[in-house]
Amino acid sequence: MPQIPQLADHRVLRPAEVALALNIISRMDFLRLKAIARLHARGLPPDVSWDDLLQEAFTRAIVGSRRKPQNVPMVTFLAGIMRSLRAEHWRRVRGGPASRETLRIDHQRDLSRAAELRDPASDLEQALLAREQIEAIERLFAGDSVALGILAGLAEGRSAAQIRAAMSISKTDYDSARKRMRRTLLREGLTCAPN
Amino acid sequence: MRTKLTLSTPAAALGRILDQLDRELIEASDEDILEAARDLGMNPMMKGSAAFLGLQVPAMANFADFFDSEALRSVQRKAARVKPEKSIERKDSADD
Repeated sequence: MPQIPQLADHRVLRPAEVALALNIISRMDFLRLKAIARLHARGLPPDVSWDDLLQEAFTRAIVGSRRKPQNVPMVTFLAGIMRSLRAEHWRRVRGGPASRETLRIDHQRDLSRAAELRDPASDLEQALLAREQIEAIERLFAGDSVALGILAGLAEGRSAAQIRAAMSISKTDYDSARKRMRRTLLREGLTCAPN
Repeated sequence: MRTKLTLSTPAAALGRILDQLDRELIEASDEDILEAARDLGMNPMMKGSAAFLGLQVPAMANFADFFDSEALRSVQRKAARVKPEKSIERKDSADD
């Protein structure tokens, strides 16, 4: 009777690979999600990797703890999970509402008060990290003044039309810059280089 | 418009940037991805392409991910059998 190689006994598929094997996503979507995970990991401390973020998003989708609405494409859905994981991480670090999950069984504790306690060090850490990452993102577009202007507008929460008006650029120039930005982000996202 | 970001809450600014830029990636076409991969000398159509590094093989792969424990032990046994070369003694050592 043929023996299954010993190595196969130890090989466990990771959640992202399971999704690929089950045809939940295509190989191109796999790469698209890698780039998205690498982007969102910029909003997390260095000890949380893009890989952790991606595998956690796939895990939640596969086990059903997050349900995909029928009309939402899988990539959009998984990107949304990564976005909320990023926010959830900082809420937990600060001791905000997400951290209540672990305290729920303790009925003696006044959770409404506990949730108000914030760790000021975590705010500082997040601010420092954010500043560093904004500078790192700016460096990706160094020399492209239109892209940097768009980035500044996005940071201020401006819409595309507001950014175009503030920069006095045409829609064509704006769209060309966005295309360049997309290409740069994809190039950066396809590597495994540290952010 | 300023091209340097000077906002009072960097975390909020970064959040807005990331949330907008991820839309760019969601909307990226397969051709965009292939072009970016070509820029890097990668061919995602090829089996085992470097573009998939970190997805199918952990980005920080361990030795044990590629060698089963017996193979690893065999390498370690061989390494242990190799005698280290005689250490070179420096004549002009500062300790002399």
